[in-house]
Amino acid sequence: METVNTETALQNIQQLTDNIETVIKGKRNQIKFVLTALIARGHILMEDNPGTGKTVMAKTLAQSISGEKGNGMVNFKRIQFTPDLLPMDLIGSHIFDDVKKEFIFKKGPLFCNVLLADEINRASPKVQSALLECMAENQITMGELTYKLSDLFFTIATQNPVEMEGTYPLPAAQLDRFFIKIIFGYVDEETELDIYKNYLGINDNLLHIKQVLGIDELLHLQQQSENVFVHEEIIKAVRNIVWATRKNPDIVLAASTRSGIIFLKCLKAYALVNGRTYVIEDDVSDLAQPVLNHRLLYRNKDAKANTLNNIIITEMDRLSKLKINQG
Amino acid sequence: MNEFMQIKKIHSAKKIIAQLALLILPSTLVGAYMLWHLNEYYSVLENQWVAESAFLAAGLIAGNIFYNYRFRFITTLLPLLLLLFILSKIVSNTFTGEFTAFYAITKFYIFSFLFLLGWFSGWAFARLRWFPVVLSALLMLIQILVISNTIDITTKKLIAAFAPVLLFAFYIIYTAELVRNMNEDEPNFSWFISKKIIGFGIVAGIILLLIFSFFKKDFKAIEKQYGGGEPKQEGNAESLTKENKDGTVSNKKQMGLSGGRKSTKQLVFIAKLDNYFSNSDVPNPLYFTYDYYTKFDTLTQTLEVDSLMPSNDLFQPDPSKIPLYFTKSDSAVLDSAKGFLKRKVVSTEVYKALLSPKEFLAPSTAFFCQPIAVEKEYKQQFKSAYRAKMFVSELNSAYFVYNPAGNKQLEDFQKERFDELRKVSNWDNEDTAFMHYYTFIPKGDNFDSVRALAKEITKNAYAPVDKIIAIRNYFLSNDETGQPLFKYTDNPGVPGLPSASKLNYFLFDNHKGYCAYYAGATLFLLRALGLPTRVATGFLTVDRSSKNKGWYWFYDDQAHAWTEVYFPGYGWIDFDTTIPSTEQQQSPAPDGTPPITVQTALFVTNGKVISIDTLKKRVDMSVTQMIYHDRTFELAEPVSLDMDVSMATISRDSGQVSLSELQRGNQITALSFSEQFKNISLKDSNDYKEIFAKIPRPAPIDEIKISDTVQEKKPATTIKKKEPISFNTILWTSIAIAAFSILVIFSLPWLIFKWLDLKAKTTKPPIRKAYYSYVAATYYLNQMGYTRDQLPVAQYAKEKIDPRFGTSFFSFMNVYLKTKYAEQPLSASEQTIVENFYKPFYKKVKAQISFKQRLGKFLNFYRTINFYSKPKI
Repeated sequence: METVNTETALQNIQQLTDNIETVIKGKRNQIKFVLTALIARGHILMEDNPGTGKTVMAKTLAQSISGEKGNGMVNFKRIQFTPDLLPMDLIGSHIFDDVKKEFIFKKGPLFCNVLLADEINRASPKVQSALLECMAENQITMGELTYKLSDLFFTIATQNPVEMEGTYPLPAAQLDRFFIKIIFGYVDEETELDIYKNYLGINDNLLHIKQVLGIDELLHLQQQSENVFVHEEIIKAVRNIVWATRKNPDIVLAASTRSGIIFLKCLKAYALVNGRTYVIEDDVSDLAQPVLNHRLLYRNKDAKANTLNNIIITEMDRLSKLKINQG
Repeated sequence: MNEFMQIKKIHSAKKIIAQLALLILPSTLVGAYMLWHLNEYYSVLENQWVAESAFLAAGLIAGNIFYNYRFRFITTLLPLLLLLFILSKIVSNTFTGEFTAFYAITKFYIFSFLFLLGWFSGWAFARLRWFPVVLSALLMLIQILVISNTIDITTKKLIAAFAPVLLFAFYIIYTAELVRNMNEDEPNFSWFISKKIIGFGIVAGIILLLIFSFFKKDFKAIEKQYGGGEPKQEGNAESLTKENKDGTVSNKKQMGLSGGRKSTKQLVFIAKLDNYFSNSDVPNPLYFTYDYYTKFDTLTQTLEVDSLMPSNDLFQPDPSKIPLYFTKSDSAVLDSAKGFLKRKVVSTEVYKALLSPKEFLAPSTAFFCQPIAVEKEYKQQFKSAYRAKMFVSELNSAYFVYNPAGNKQLEDFQKERFDELRKVSNWDNEDTAFMHYYTFIPKGDNFDSVRALAKEITKNAYAPVDKIIAIRNYFLSNDETGQPLFKYTDNPGVPGLPSASKLNYFLFDNHKGYCAYYAGATLFLLRALGLPTRVATGFLTVDRSSKNKGWYWFYDDQAHAWTEVYFPGYGWIDFDTTIPSTEQQQSPAPDGTPPITVQTALFVTNGKVISIDTLKKRVDMSVTQMIYHDRTFELAEPVSLDMDVSMATISRDSGQVSLSELQRGNQITALSFSEQFKNISLKDSNDYKEIFAKIPRPAPIDEIKISDTVQEKKPATTIKKKEPISFNTILWTSIAIAAFSILVIFSLPWLIFKWLDLKAKTTKPPIRKAYYSYVAATYYLNQMGYTRDQLPVAQYAKEKIDPRFGTSFFSFMNVYLKTKYAEQPLSASEQTIVENFYKPFYKKVKAQISFKQRLGKFLNFYRTINFYSKPKI
């Protein structure tokens, strides 16, 4: 098994994280999760109230990665989802070319590298389902034609808390496509003050942000993450957690086998993001909530608050007392 | 709709089952064990420990299940108490007759108390977290109290009392916490439970087996004593003799005043007593004394043997331990007997039938014992025999109650001895301690009325002996209707009220009893008058023989108790106030003939067997002691002697055996009655070598007695002579045991830490060192109160520990987790991190916590349990 070319890969990630942090202050954990989803070739869903920096996050990420030929940033698109948005508005449409006398395909905003799907749950289910294929297969099918998306296609979706008015809850299948769902959250008091002090600087920083990583390097990183070492006990821990969700009577819809695989993928990416070439038990603990929680349906609110957490604690306790690798 | 009215479960069904299996079941077992143990010590439990344990278990299980639902304790306990109260009323009304009612009610109280105890414990197991600790302490306390009530403490007894309770304490404290923290959603829950039960079962089984094998004999003896499983015996009956394991009979050491007494008509022993009235050939029978009872325990209503009695004149050798024809004597008892007037030396020969070979009985005051051989033809009937010598008073006689009307000689004797004793009018010159001891009466209303009665009976008598006669006459007197005031019966019944003194019941109400009642009552009546008195037990001697003068037959129902009064100068004189039984049949007339011809052994040797030839019937022995023509020789050097045993009978205490049972190394006594020894003249030589040179070789031997060298159980005599262990010793031993176990429990966290600490410091390979450093560090932090709670380990190090103590725990954790999960070799710098982590870390943390805090926190073993148990969810 090829080991990770550690030095450069880890350096690259470190640079990327630091770079984003110059703009998004006090959100190191969230940045790590975003990068984890990116490197695991997945997508991320961020839930929070408006105005917590989700959009800026996406923009910063896009601007930190240089485009295909090393000049300019990667193709970044933003779609503001509204109830009257139509699938065509995303995918694009065939329009009649007067000159050539034929229908040509006008690519929609989905043809990009980094997509910011803002307030995704305000769009109608029809639109939401339009996203499904491209998120899962990296391709778009229009009639008989299938259009391949770029190798690097990363969706950052944001949604308002489900309880807010004018929202359509995402269907389970859609949620499953998002590797990670995080709550962006407010920054702490100190950081808030910093942000106010140079509030102009945010946009400034955004404008002058360096592009630290080429798109090729990023694709290479994605490949590298496949080679991160996962100990058998960690795999068992993932299995145990997935199984525990199925046995728990408080969980109505339990984690699928695919969620387990996604969990493992994310663990590998997360280890790399944290500068390691192997997964440790803390990774499992950190990632279990973001990766699994949005895939589960609970019997009630109480269960939602505690059940998964309890499962994780039990499993972490087992891991912490393990005595392995003593040879 | 009315959900608030519903009674909800506190725990899930699985948890309840776990509680029942892991906490209640072991508690029941220990409860049963304790009850079995207590039954040995407290007769009020009546050896019904199985039934009692069942009630306890029922209470435990019911209480536990009941309170695993959200019932209130007080509101539910009150109806239960009410129910029990009503039941007790019903029970007391159903059983009429004071005797049965008393028993039924007592039993009911015991059972309902046990049930309530179980109920309460079941509640506490369900609701109180600290209950296992309290329970353990309580059980320990009970055992300490029980043990402090016993006089002869042995290691065995201590182990039996404390080992199970200690083990249980450890088990229950740990398991209760385990059950509390257990996650019932765990996949292998039932396996987890069964694993624990099997484990506990195995451990308990091993312990029980050990205890049982340890106490097999005692256990069986207890069973026998209480008649376990033998329905033919009355539960209520009490005998003055007790049956030994081998079927022989000994006297009991305790004389209870119980509801009834049983006796059979079996021959215990026969004796030839060379005591005749002066200047005549009329035999004067004397009671055969076994023991003296000088103390009365008001709590248990029993007379007790007190090994510390002043002027102990009891001679109690073990005849089975003395080689045949060798003697044992003790002249010290003669001083203690304090009698010198009208005394003479009398000898007796006792042939034992059912009586244990270990026992020694003789009229008082015996000072000499010599086991003798039994004639061949009587060996079937009499297993062993001994000769004894006594210094007896001429004033003593079995005749006191029986009015010797018509027998001139006896009348003269009675008159003569009463006249002689009338000379004694006071005990002024006696030792005050002696007098105080033998005239002691416990305080209390009961004994005040006895005092009053004694004054009333003896108001017309002045000389002490007349007072005794007055008491005898009182027992023999008739009431106003002309009926006898007192009656002899083996089943006097028991007073209806639990607290009433049996003695008072006998004296003032019932007027029925057997010898122990009369002896006990007389004891206090006489002591109330200031006469030094004690109770003697042994056998009543009845002269039924006209053919063989001086021979007496003793049957089981002749076991007896009577009083002895001390007269200065004359010593202890027997006075038997037990009135004759009107309903009882007399013992069967002695049949058979006594083994009259007693041969004198000319040559007796004692020593060890060197070799045996069963074909040629030759035995070689190494002789250490020898008797030759009544002269005893102690051999400075053992001499080997070859013997012809073709004519010899071989015997043990248990009876005749074959030659093949003789083993090398056996301690034997060889006897010869052969004429060949008669003709050897000795010429006053004291040299045993000369005798050995002259005796025929091989020496013709007629009898070989094998001494049972196996020290089965210490004979009763030696236990009795031993100083009883004082209450303080017991208290301190118990406290020491308790303190030690508490110390172990509380120092356990520290000991575990010291072990991990040592491992962390001394382990060399970096990967293992990393592991032990991690365990030691997290254990220490956990014990100090910096628990990991729900954090993952690295985060715990980074966010909770390093900021608090300024340590480098997190950087170590990174390396440790690498060793754990990476399967990669450590770099040199990482190895140094492992190498240099633990010691400075420990120092740094220790420096920031004061000694007082550390001590306090190490005493909390719950933290240790939490460290090793699963997290609370």
